[in-house]
Amino acid sequence: MKCPRCDSESVSVMVKSPVGDEWEVYLCDTCKFSWRSTEGENITDPEKYDKRFKLNPEEFDKLDKIPPIPPLLKK
Amino acid sequence: MAYRDLRGFLELLESEKQLIRIKDEVMPEPDLSAIGRCAPDMESAPAVLVEKIKGYKTPLVLNVHGSWQNHALMLNLPKDTPVKDQFFRLKELWDKYPVKPVWVDRKDAPVKDTIIEEDINLFDILPLFRINEFDAGFYLSKALIVSRNPDNPDSYEEQNCGTYRIQVKGKDRVAIQPLPFHDIAVHFKKAEEKNERLPIAICLGNDPVLSFMASTPIAYVQSEYDFAGALKGEPIELVKAENSNLDIPARSEVVLEGYIEPRVREIEGPFGEFPGSYSGSRLQPIVKITKITHRRNPIFENLYLGMPWTEIDYLMALNTSIPLYDQLKRDFPEVQAVNAMYTHGIGAIVSTKSRFGGYGKAVAMRLLSTPHGMSYTKIVIIVDEFVDPFNLEQVMWALTTRVRPDKDVFKIPFAPGMPLDPSSEPAGMHTKLVIDATTPVAPDFGRDTELLGIPEGVEKWSAILRGLVKEGGSK
Repeated sequence: MKCPRCDSESVSVMVKSPVGDEWEVYLCDTCKFSWRSTEGENITDPEKYDKRFKLNPEEFDKLDKIPPIPPLLKK
Repeated sequence: MAYRDLRGFLELLESEKQLIRIKDEVMPEPDLSAIGRCAPDMESAPAVLVEKIKGYKTPLVLNVHGSWQNHALMLNLPKDTPVKDQFFRLKELWDKYPVKPVWVDRKDAPVKDTIIEEDINLFDILPLFRINEFDAGFYLSKALIVSRNPDNPDSYEEQNCGTYRIQVKGKDRVAIQPLPFHDIAVHFKKAEEKNERLPIAICLGNDPVLSFMASTPIAYVQSEYDFAGALKGEPIELVKAENSNLDIPARSEVVLEGYIEPRVREIEGPFGEFPGSYSGSRLQPIVKITKITHRRNPIFENLYLGMPWTEIDYLMALNTSIPLYDQLKRDFPEVQAVNAMYTHGIGAIVSTKSRFGGYGKAVAMRLLSTPHGMSYTKIVIIVDEFVDPFNLEQVMWALTTRVRPDKDVFKIPFAPGMPLDPSSEPAGMHTKLVIDATTPVAPDFGRDTELLGIPEGVEKWSAILRGLVKEGGSK
């Protein structure tokens, strides 16, 4: 299975429905996107996921850190 | 007070026909966000209790704060109380701060009915769902998050309760967004400097007054619990958390205890935010959940936020306006009321009497230098004291009949701004706009104008007409 948002193939099952066998929720280990098996193709299908919201993992390092990590205090 | 906790408030709402129940099973997506979107658009804008959600055990309530009717009932007022009257009632209660909380024994705290320490799975307790289509996952959007200053852990005054967005990233792992100007970021910075974990408690399904205060901008050393007590007119009941010395509400539905990992950042977002657009992805801290405590048969409360107005707008309306009103009133006693209800105060309207020419402009500049107004407020409109700033038709009247664009409109370029406002460029910078729609007074001057008066007997006839409408009859 591929992540619909960043196309990573590193995807795991986060959880199965607590009641019955109704759905599973998946988690992309790369971009931390999560989705439910019962959601529409606009969410679950990498080909149909809106291009404006697709992510490229190579750019993650450049994202802002919020809040910034402060320097360690000297002991 | 007519209610003690979220459950009591839901009973009150139901008795006032301000709560509806959905008994048929619904799908988590897209039904829950669609319900959250529709409810505030209805005339009565009721809370909605969804009893059965496919695959989940727990019911969900949405739109608890999402109407002026529900807001009035929260303040113990009749549900048809006008907004301006709610503003003054809130101000009256605000001035009763502080009302200190009481601490109850664990055995008397309903939130300790069930304690889960092993195999933690948030989905077992919380019916999580996608709020907006391109959110990164499932979010907790109405949590009250408690933290303390790790350098002064015994300080109750410095303990903070705030609402910060939480992305669920695992059965026991979530992300949090402490923006640098939030109080929790002060605590977290001190913990990170020492490479220590910061204990937090994520409280869900709270007394509506607590959720209201958790989204109110108050000073660092002021206590949200003491304010909530003032608004209720009686102390909030607190109890100690299991894993830390944090104080948590004893009557909340669910509390997730855990800690923020120091010096770790991981991708989070996007998430549909209060200005009605998505905020982008950033690297943000991670929280490990180590314990869940909850009431018997818990109710999950979450918040849909969309293009304004939706429920979130009621949680940053009058509570944004009152602190600004207090700060202005101190130096400008002529100020009558402040309406900073638009997108958390990015837009604000102030009514004031003018002591001398240009007074309205001075009031606007003071608003733009208050702690909240400095970064959030971008557009300020000043109107005369006889204009109700909560009545937008009256405000438009003032704009159309009082403003001289060559004299009464000015900009302050490149001032502090609100990064989540998509027009803030670069993020965190604003050019401010001031529109002074007050009537000129000396030494300024305008053309002579005489206002139209109110006919005699208006009050009497207003009561008669209201009575007739209620009875549906004739006279």
